Amino acid sequence: MTEPILKVNSVTKCFGGLTAVDDVSFSVEKGEIVGLIGPNGAGKTTLFNVISGYYAPTKGSVVFQGNDISGKPPYHLAGVGIGRTFQVVKPFAGLTVLENVTIASFLKHPKKADAERHAWQVLETTGLADRAHLSAAGLTLAGRKRLEISKALALDPSFLLLDEVVAGLNPTEADRTVELIMKLKAQGLTILIVEHIMRVIMNISDRLVVLNFGKKIAEGTPAEVSSDPHVVQAYFGEEAA
Amino acid sequence: MKTSRGAAILAIITAALLILPLVVHDTFVLRVLTEGIMWIGLAIAFDVIAGYTGYLNFGHGAFFGIGAYTIGILMMQAHLPFWVALPLGGVAAALTALIAGIPTLRLKGAYFAIATWALSRAIQQLALNVEFTGGPDGMRLEAFLNPLFFYYLMLITVGAIFLVLWYLLERAPFGLKLKAIREDEEGAKALGLNPTMLKMQSFILSAIPTGILGGIYAYWITFIDPSSTLGDLVSDQAVVMVVFGGMGTLFGPALGAILIFAFKTIFWAYLSDFQLLYLIILGALIAISVIFIPNGLWGTLVKRKAVARPQEKPEPASEPAALSAVAVPEEGN
Ligand SMILES: Nc1ncnc2c1ncn2[C@@H]1O[C@H](COP(=O)(O)OP(=O)(O)O)[C@@H](O)[C@H]1O
Ligand SMILES: [Mg+2]
Repeated sequence: MTEPILKVNSVTKCFGGLTAVDDVSFSVEKGEIVGLIGPNGAGKTTLFNVISGYYAPTKGSVVFQGNDISGKPPYHLAGVGIGRTFQVVKPFAGLTVLENVTIASFLKHPKKADAERHAWQVLETTGLADRAHLSAAGLTLAGRKRLEISKALALDPSFLLLDEVVAGLNPTEADRTVELIMKLKAQGLTILIVEHIMRVIMNISDRLVVLNFGKKIAEGTPAEVSSDPHVVQAYFGEEAA
Repeated sequence: MKTSRGAAILAIITAALLILPLVVHDTFVLRVLTEGIMWIGLAIAFDVIAGYTGYLNFGHGAFFGIGAYTIGILMMQAHLPFWVALPLGGVAAALTALIAGIPTLRLKGAYFAIATWALSRAIQQLALNVEFTGGPDGMRLEAFLNPLFFYYLMLITVGAIFLVLWYLLERAPFGLKLKAIREDEEGAKALGLNPTMLKMQSFILSAIPTGILGGIYAYWITFIDPSSTLGDLVSDQAVVMVVFGGMGTLFGPALGAILIFAFKTIFWAYLSDFQLLYLIILGALIAISVIFIPNGLWGTLVKRKAVARPQEKPEPASEPAALSAVAVPEEGN
């Protein structure tokens, strides 16, 4: 077995009295797509924020490619290969789509002309090239979600955190994004993805980690997890009810 | 491209300004032009932190005053020659930005504006109450009465400031990185940008030219006191010029500086008894531009062109990458 690309070791994150993430451990192997699921408020985004450096864990540690990265700032983690999107999208609204992605490209391409060229390539991959000169504020929700992915990809990351990039899209748009994610996996990217849409998450994930009230309640292949009684009760039970 | 058109206009204006003193010998006109050019420099330097980075610095005048006092003190008390003292004015302003920036650049929006305003008031009070500045009486510098020298010095300095800022903000990645901070600081972090570092660099980049211009001003006017160099007016006018002209650009603030300064000159020439009215008009102008032309004059002019651009199908040949990317058929959604 090779060393996992990401190891989350007993991570706890508290906000005052609230324990948003409670002693969660799991790891992600290189080249995998791992789905992180759980009801609203389960702590998925908070865990993303810990892994990507926005929050330091209250307890526990995060190890990326063999190095303890807990508490390192996000801009440092972008530099070591962690790209992320935001559930609540964060476009640079006053700038064009191309400028948005060029800014991310600066990480690996310090010259402006190189960064722009790289940004164009990314926009072709993500299907936003025809909207490159549009203001980011003028994009539809689907466009803005796609811009999130484009910016994260422009960092040339080895590990990608996707927070609900499919939610809110119509079926056609959703299919295109799933296609894109599979293409990225084929290129060797490792992906940790949060998604509510079961059809999507069950199809694309190699493994799933299930959170509920901050705790990990199950882990395994989609088939294993969907037959796990805890999960059925805590998560699918809600929908059945 | 909008920048090359702007650059051409600028080159013509610069050439005209260079030969102007050969035609115009009136020292009053020369004096007005010298000050007008200075305001262009102050406005574009202010826009580095305010427009590009999104931090409205209401203490911009403090950098100007500190530059002026540094040159005054170094020339009159340490007896340094002007050319040695002048760069040190920029250094003093940079150090001020560094020290003031650590606590204030963590604040956002109005809090930053208030904190920088308060700090600049504190600096003014300091200059009023210590010995070596001459207190409220101010300080007289050794007079060098050569209007032509100061005209050209100001022109060359502001020209150099413009070129350096244009390169850093419009050509190099730095300008876009600052805009990323302005648009979304948290989002920028995920892309590898360190906001604390970038904001500090921006603040210092805004301070250095302002300090140098303050130094030239002191030697030119030969008299400085806390109200003329450390007062509110420098900051207030810079704000109006930049907001009115167009924030986050270089041509906008330059245009704003020219128009506002021309207005000020005419107003004070004919209506100098109504200083309060001048301030009221200044305030009204800010409100009007924020409401009706939020992108400023320059931003409004350029925006209109940018909207028209996608209609002309082929991208300009200067962007080959653009061409290939647009050529890829893409079913839009
Ligand atoms: N910055 C914060 N401060 C306080 N509480 C927070 C903060 N962020 C998230 N929470 C809380 O932590 C819990 C987990 O939230 P979140 O991670 O967003 O869940 P999910 O992404 O799984 O829907 C929720 O109860 C939420 O209200
Ligand atoms: Mg969430």
